[in-house]
Amino acid sequence: MASKANKPELIVNGRRLDGRDFNQLRPIKIEANVLKNATGSAYLEWGNNKVLAAVYGPVEAQPKHMADPSKAIIKCRYSMAPFSSLSEHNRSGPNRRATEISKVTKEVFEKVLMLNEFPGSQINIFIEILQSDGGTRAAGITAASVALASSGLHMKDLVYAVSVGKIGEHLVLDLDMIEDNYSDSDMPMAISPRNGEILLLQMDGEYTKEELEGAFKMAAEAGKEIGAVQRNALKRVYENVVSKYNGE
Amino acid sequence: MGAINMVKTAYIKQLMSTNIREDGRGFNDSREIKITTGILQNAEGSAQVDIGSTRVLAGVKLDIGEPMDDTPNEGTLAMSADLLPLASADFEMGPPSPEAIELARVVDRGIRAGKCVNMESLFIEEGKAWNVFVDIYVLNYDGNLFDASEIAAMSALLNTKVPEYADGKELRDKRIKALKIDNVVTSVTVAKVADKILLDPNGDEEEAADARLTIATDGKFIRAMQKGLGGSFTQKEILDAADAALNRHNKLKQVIEKTR
Amino acid sequence: MQEIVYPGDLIADTQIRAPNVYVENGKSYSMVLGFKDSSGSGIIPFEGGWVPKIEETVIGIISSERNNVYEVDLGSHHRALIIGGKYERFSFQIGDVVEATVKDIEDGRTIILSYPNALKEGTVISIKPSKIPRLIGKNNTMINQISQGTSSKISVGMNGMVWIRDGNVALATAAILRVEEEAHVPGLTGRIKEMVEKR
Repeated sequence: MASKANKPELIVNGRRLDGRDFNQLRPIKIEANVLKNATGSAYLEWGNNKVLAAVYGPVEAQPKHMADPSKAIIKCRYSMAPFSSLSEHNRSGPNRRATEISKVTKEVFEKVLMLNEFPGSQINIFIEILQSDGGTRAAGITAASVALASSGLHMKDLVYAVSVGKIGEHLVLDLDMIEDNYSDSDMPMAISPRNGEILLLQMDGEYTKEELEGAFKMAAEAGKEIGAVQRNALKRVYENVVSKYNGE
Repeated sequence: MGAINMVKTAYIKQLMSTNIREDGRGFNDSREIKITTGILQNAEGSAQVDIGSTRVLAGVKLDIGEPMDDTPNEGTLAMSADLLPLASADFEMGPPSPEAIELARVVDRGIRAGKCVNMESLFIEEGKAWNVFVDIYVLNYDGNLFDASEIAAMSALLNTKVPEYADGKELRDKRIKALKIDNVVTSVTVAKVADKILLDPNGDEEEAADARLTIATDGKFIRAMQKGLGGSFTQKEILDAADAALNRHNKLKQVIEKTR
Repeated sequence: MQEIVYPGDLIADTQIRAPNVYVENGKSYSMVLGFKDSSGSGIIPFEGGWVPKIEETVIGIISSERNNVYEVDLGSHHRALIIGGKYERFSFQIGDVVEATVKDIEDGRTIILSYPNALKEGTVISIKPSKIPRLIGKNNTMINQISQGTSSKISVGMNGMVWIRDGNVALATAAILRVEEEAHVPGLTGRIKEMVEKR
């Protein structure tokens, strides 16, 4: 996309353009249960990303021939709003990129949700990117995970996602849009914090095996912070209601 | 949802003889309307509108493009709507439904016929003009998407800032002036249920409705109308709805302008 | 308020069998968002779908009929059937609201219903099944209070559907939806009492 010819200096005096350290996340905020009709939902702001995730189900599988008599199936839609990017207006509807992200996101939750409890049914996961600034698939998965927990569906873990990229010789956590456009490598991951297993892994660029190990370590550290934000969002849903009436 | 709608429809029709609606409102009462503007930063303008538990988000993008051949000194305006599957169990994934296309076109007609956006102000230079895209995102459905979308689109346009233009390019991070808005259009939607006319129908009432009517107005003129669903209206019912739309306009306009 | 348990939280270093707990590699973890049951070792979830149990009461809507077998929409992904026989003939119409008892559950998703009883007129609302116990209340206190305060007849299905008729149905509906919304907030009974007795 971006031409490498006018590549900006992404690291100045050992810091990134927005002032972050190499292993520093952008600020993350999550609010759970924001949509009335959904079984579970979450709104997330991750840097300048703004994401809405919702879960419906289990519902009867549609079309019926898609139903699996042994377990529930997942349908996932990741989509970017036409007004989501700072650059030009986008056509709405899924393109090839969104279709791929929808697929790998679905595969993240196939391992996490206890699908055999609802044979013949379907669980819908919707991720809408309202505003994008790099790392939207990680933001979407992190939000969807909170939406799933708030839906009450049985799941093995509160999954999070984050990306580790490479700028020059440096591993850097959580690339924003400019970094993503001009960096040398990027590797989004979704991780089960309970056991560190990796549920989504994509990568392009160049990593040595040592750098790969370093990236895993960095992602695991970030997971502690992201997980705390996810948990707090869920906690607040119940505490908020409590305080609303203590004041009266 | 399916079968539960049958029961609710029967109940809502039965209620019509009591002059009280499912949620306790009178026939001419609207639900509370809440507007929040400027919630998106990448969009040049944005607004979120809640009517009861219906929630609609509108985003405005401005791109440099070409004027239309027949209006070489004006910019362009395009409106689209998405009934997102996360807004209701009844909305499906896939290409835009006829309902979504109708919604976008009705909102578009009101704002276009009302000459709300000053199209000449969008002209940049010979062969170049701003293309304005308004995208309506339905986030939660509980009836009356038409009024919610009209208000959201209008509020988002009022919230829009035009980027600076220099050396043939737009500077997205320099938004220098407000989009020039000449007129404010609002709409009122009614539904006909068992021969009674209900203002601001909720989701169950729309499900039970035989016909639906949206009237967009700027207070002086009626700017757009759309009758929907299989039933019909009498001429008097339409004139009464026009009255309601004209009478409510100033109040709605105040709410919109207060939040720009 | 008790401490919240999240999906994936370690519950025991050993293998335990308890509600909403799963075992992996000899350790036990929570599979829901909820809190620890003080009287047992399981987790009580904050939210959750309906898991049918034999002999419980459900409310549904007749959605189709063939050869005296009625399919009932319970608002869940289950397939629920009322099966008439030679000596047991029913005459439900599509769209009728019925209250029935779960007689049997086959292959995890087909439910056989018995003792169906049509609930005439009125309306049905659907709330989260996990909030139904709160709506009923201890010894039916909550539901009786709403029913008396609004002079409405109310029937509650464990699947989340609630049938309401007569009296101030709009107020009864609002009260039930408020119970759903504030199920975990202390002092709910008092607030609902105030709500339905105010008018």
